[in-house]
Amino acid sequence: MTFRQARWDEPSVWDLAPSGPGEVPNVPGLPERFRRKEGVRWPELSELEVVRHYTRLSQMNFGIDTSPYALGSCTMKYNPKVSELLARRPGAADLHPSQPESTVQGALEILWRLERILTKVTGLSEVSLQPAAGAHGEYAALLMVRAYLRDRGELGSRTEVLLPDTAHGTNPASAAMAGFTTREIASKDGCVDLAALRAAVSEKTACFMLTNPNTAGLFESEILDIAQTVHGAGGLLYYDGANLNAILGVTHPGRMGFDVAHLNLHKTFATPHGGGGPGAGVLAAGETLAPYLPVPRIVKRGRKFSLDYDRPKSIGKIRAGYGSFGLDLRAYAFALAHGEEGLKHVARRAVLNSNYLGARMGQYLPRPFRPLVKHEFLLSGAPLKEKGVRTLDLAKRLLDEGVHAPTIYFPSLVEESLMVELPETESKRELDGYFDAFVRAVTDTPENLHAAPRNLAVSRIDEVRAAREPLLSWKDLRAAPAKVEAP
Amino acid sequence: MLAALGIGSVDELFSDVPKRARIGRLGIGPSREEPEVVREVDKILARNRPLSGFANFVGGRLPIRYVPAAVDAMLSRSEFFTAYTPYQPEASQGMLRVLFEFQSLWVELTGLDVANASLYDGATAAGEALLFARRLHDGHRFLVPASLPWEERSVLQNYASGPGLIVEEIPYDPGSGGLDLAWVRTKVGQGDVFGVLADVPNGFGHVDPAVLDLKSTIGAVPLVVAADPLSLTVLEAPGRYGADVVVGEGLGFGIAPSFGGPALGLFACRKEHVRMAPGRIAGATLDADGRRAYALTLQTREQHIRRSRATSNICTNESLMALAFVVYATLVGPRALAQLQASLAERAKTLASALGGVPGLLAPRFDAPYLGDFAIELVSGTAPAFLERLRRRKVLGGQAIVDPRPGAPKTPERILVSVGASAGEKEIQRYVTAARAAVGGGGP
Repeated sequence: MTFRQARWDEPSVWDLAPSGPGEVPNVPGLPERFRRKEGVRWPELSELEVVRHYTRLSQMNFGIDTSPYALGSCTMKYNPKVSELLARRPGAADLHPSQPESTVQGALEILWRLERILTKVTGLSEVSLQPAAGAHGEYAALLMVRAYLRDRGELGSRTEVLLPDTAHGTNPASAAMAGFTTREIASKDGCVDLAALRAAVSEKTACFMLTNPNTAGLFESEILDIAQTVHGAGGLLYYDGANLNAILGVTHPGRMGFDVAHLNLHKTFATPHGGGGPGAGVLAAGETLAPYLPVPRIVKRGRKFSLDYDRPKSIGKIRAGYGSFGLDLRAYAFALAHGEEGLKHVARRAVLNSNYLGARMGQYLPRPFRPLVKHEFLLSGAPLKEKGVRTLDLAKRLLDEGVHAPTIYFPSLVEESLMVELPETESKRELDGYFDAFVRAVTDTPENLHAAPRNLAVSRIDEVRAAREPLLSWKDLRAAPAKVEAP
Repeated sequence: MLAALGIGSVDELFSDVPKRARIGRLGIGPSREEPEVVREVDKILARNRPLSGFANFVGGRLPIRYVPAAVDAMLSRSEFFTAYTPYQPEASQGMLRVLFEFQSLWVELTGLDVANASLYDGATAAGEALLFARRLHDGHRFLVPASLPWEERSVLQNYASGPGLIVEEIPYDPGSGGLDLAWVRTKVGQGDVFGVLADVPNGFGHVDPAVLDLKSTIGAVPLVVAADPLSLTVLEAPGRYGADVVVGEGLGFGIAPSFGGPALGLFACRKEHVRMAPGRIAGATLDADGRRAYALTLQTREQHIRRSRATSNICTNESLMALAFVVYATLVGPRALAQLQASLAERAKTLASALGGVPGLLAPRFDAPYLGDFAIELVSGTAPAFLERLRRRKVLGGQAIVDPRPGAPKTPERILVSVGASAGEKEIQRYVTAARAAVGGGGP
């Protein structure tokens, strides 16, 4: 199979038509000095010109619908089309969060029902759908931990958040934003080193943040001892749900001893990721932290749903509105379609895919740690260095095959790492196709690997230059001295 | 596949999950075929009363405006829709170029130098601006208008709580609802203020001319302006009156309300501060053949590299909504956008004057300029009861300006009225008629 991405010489939107400053109309009662001095400069185009421009741009982009997306920890599964149909119903799209409660009973019911499903999936007692994304859920959870510690008079003493060195970067960043100091625990064989954790916990420990299965794709089998260790020291246990896909219906954060969790609906529950967002975060809390969840909470009395603000311990709001309803609705449809057996099948198929592909790809590059993995697996591109090839080159060469590269250079405890995840929606045929593409790439000559990509809209991009001489908008391009012409 | 792995059952792949950590049934019901899912969800959605069934005047920070069909068509291109963050820029030029165009548009509207590729929503963008301002200036106090919507104040308080910062309220002039600049001057003079936020329009819906003099009042202290994007087609660009950061909410600007989310957080700042900015940023560079190409850049600010020392924890943002934002502006065009804002302002004026003639209503409540939104106040009775009487007449009359949490300070019975794109002469007349009946305590 030879792949060629579209390569349009498409100008930027401002080069399609003149962008003279428009007239600024008169607004009655507006003081002259508040009126815009010069109208907005932006092109005036016909609908067809606009549609053609953005359609051409879209053709220079990978999506799940065109290519398998092997990004580890991103869980790029198929986004069912029926969800798009439902999210565009006027009864879903044409609603304002400040409408009277009596006019949005259906929306509140969807949110309430999804919350109930997610309490079961997480095994925790209450769920809020307010966070806008996973990292936002982490942050909110840590603010709840903060409020809880304040109530116990321990805010001044429990100042430390512990995390393994394999943690997603958002974990330490969220902890720092919430005012905690962070301390990384070194891993042993890809998992938490229980002895190191025991040595690290203390009366300063606020919480331990853990992803399970972790970013090495391994299930932390000592999880119950980890929970006991953290709780024994008076700390709380935080579940990063980015990798929940692998354990749906097998275990859950509640059973593993976690006190609070975030999930990513745009991963496990198949809502589209839109080229970087929107996401939708879920905050799930056990009894200890549930009183601190953001307001409003959705409550059901008889057949009537309402928004409850009477939660004196709540941290308040973490965003406007009640969450990303459009995505919550899609996630609800996904959960409804799958049901109990379907969700269990998701985990089983995802784990089977990962182990199958791991075994095959592992014939070409070393796999660190034990071979039994969950949703994703790691490879090390270190042996390629001998022929002057880096993981980056391999990733670019894979793109030339029309498949998306794995996550690269994360986690950093593996040299030249590749993190591969092709979730349950990819068939055996697609997995074998991915494997074949990988073999062609990894066995290619160093010259070809260095020259990749060749089949995309652009060749290898100079990212160092992008950072060294930042050109961040149209304004910068106009001011830039170097003229660059399309060929 | 099992044979290739040399195992007999998928169960063996879960042998690393200890027995004591296993669960039994989740208890979430059987799986369903697509027609059943559609039927079930539609049955629930039928309990909603969409805005189109009302004369609607609810909006505020999440304004209701028509979204052209072509916006949704572009947003639905599955190469955009089903893509991940453009970590591999060569495979993602489409989305990177969209983000670069989006950033350019927000730069143009705000009069600042640099925009990021989006944040979650307007409220969290203000929260990030608070933390950003603290990186630019020492101090513990962040000043915000007392008229700021309670939700945004609460979000700001949360963002401030981590580093132990304080959000303080600037009193407003009871006549105009505008900022008390003398109070601001004194407060800043006392020191310890690291930033000041002003919203345009403000929480009462009005545009406050005092905002134009805010920067000269606070000097070197960073000024954050939270602006409605459509308003910037007719109002002076905040970068030209001293704003150091401009944030905003993009919902309504090509983005359907969807009960409030997904939304779009907007953020722009000055170029000299870009390395302290939160969020992803698309930048232009060259490819190996010397052609123009785009990539996410300045990533050493971000969580996946800088971890606990990152400028923000944000990872997933609202790229697809940024696409809707820039497609909308380009489809409608800058002239028609400015005219839309002017026409909303004219209709708002018509409605406000007519409501001003209804006994028992102070409309507009504040003597200050306004665009599409303004505040009214009830002489007696409560705002929720008044709004409920309007609703029975199929009028959504606006949103009560109140913090609904028990124990919140008591405030006057005020309502934020928003004239959206669907509010024509007929709807305005219906509002006035319904309001006359409602203040009388009457209604059907």
